Amino acid sequence: MEYFSPTSVEDAVSILHKYGERSRLIAGGTDLMVDMRFKDQPDCLVNINRLSNLSFIKPDEDCLRIGALTTIRELEANHLIKTRFRVLWNAAHQFASLQIRNAATIGGNIARASPAGETLAPLLTLEAKARFVTADGEQLLPLERFFLGPGRTALGAGGLLTGIEVPYPDDGARGVYLKHAVRGPMDIVVVGVATTITFDGRSAVNEARIGLAAVGPTPMRARGSEQLLQGKHLDLPLIEEAARGAAEEAKPISDHRASAEYRRWIVESLTRRALTQAWQNV
Amino acid sequence: MIEIALNVNGKEHHASLQPYLSLMDFLRDMLGYKGVKVCCSTGECGACTVYMNGKLVNSCVTLAAAADSGEITTVEGLASNGKLHPVQIAFIETGASQCGYCTPGFIMSAKVLLDEHPNPTVDDIKDVISGNICRCTGYTKIIEAIQLAASIQLAEQVYGD
Repeated sequence: MEYFSPTSVEDAVSILHKYGERSRLIAGGTDLMVDMRFKDQPDCLVNINRLSNLSFIKPDEDCLRIGALTTIRELEANHLIKTRFRVLWNAAHQFASLQIRNAATIGGNIARASPAGETLAPLLTLEAKARFVTADGEQLLPLERFFLGPGRTALGAGGLLTGIEVPYPDDGARGVYLKHAVRGPMDIVVVGVATTITFDGRSAVNEARIGLAAVGPTPMRARGSEQLLQGKHLDLPLIEEAARGAAEEAKPISDHRASAEYRRWIVESLTRRALTQAWQNV
Repeated sequence: MIEIALNVNGKEHHASLQPYLSLMDFLRDMLGYKGVKVCCSTGECGACTVYMNGKLVNSCVTLAAAADSGEITTVEGLASNGKLHPVQIAFIETGASQCGYCTPGFIMSAKVLLDEHPNPTVDDIKDVISGNICRCTGYTKIIEAIQLAASIQLAEQVYGD
């Protein structure tokens, strides 16, 4: 096995370009170490922990910039994220154990592109963008177009995610992330539902965004339910209708964690709960 | 093979190792720190918990190479001048070690909590040990031990050792 520990993004990308599919990037290692022990060993291991300038949480004027090597624990401990980006904070707070949160990075969670990835549905509802570098140069892509399938992203085999850019939600925005897992935060989600909602005045929905995790090949938005809510006053019947709509839009599969039918029930239930929480907190 | 240099429990080590080696396997098999326990090897049970540069991590899912130029503390490094850490004393006093296999990991997590919250609530304790699994299911005594450790630590601060 070849091993590299590059100190610049350019070096890292040229190594990835050379080794392609045969290489693996390692940051926190919480996923890849398990793969290397029980599944496959890559021909080339690229440790990016020395790219220390990729670890930052930077509130710029236009958006919040988060470096790919920022740990989940750093997100959880950040006051701005806790207050303004509550949906993302919820996900970071419910992310496995302290041991894992100290090591796992936001970049790893995104680049891994698991449909159940904890921060992904919340980031979709924040309309975050991925910034990455390939041999062809730097790109900025909305996360919704970044995810291509389970474990597949626009990075391909040679791209390096350097960070994300998250627009500030409106001042009154309500963010909620709910997960259903058998063993609580330690477990992979059966279903996750994220909502980011802004209200006009007391209960008229200005904009609703609903993100679903683990119910399709990529994390997804429930666009139909979002449109249903747009401009309307929230009440219980409307919440019920939106929750049923989200369950219909979901594209779950049956696997050892849950059946597709069960996952749709959970989408409905969590969407109802998330919208109700957002509504009651207006 | 790659070369790394690191500090474990205050002692400098240089080693030549395979790049894919986990910190857990490195600490146990190459340096002999057997207080780092092997259990799930997937980052779920916390038996292999150590501090890397002051942070609580699962050494089974940490690359040994990532510890290059770093500082590691294992359970063997908690006692100072032959005196056990309050968390260790409390685990003995309350009988919180049952089969004992998960104990080093629990002790490492508990110490991190007490460093930050000298007087933790039961919920704080449950939060910090959520990444550690006890197969004897003896959580009640473990929680009691951590509460006792907090009292010992506070008493030491007030009355001295």
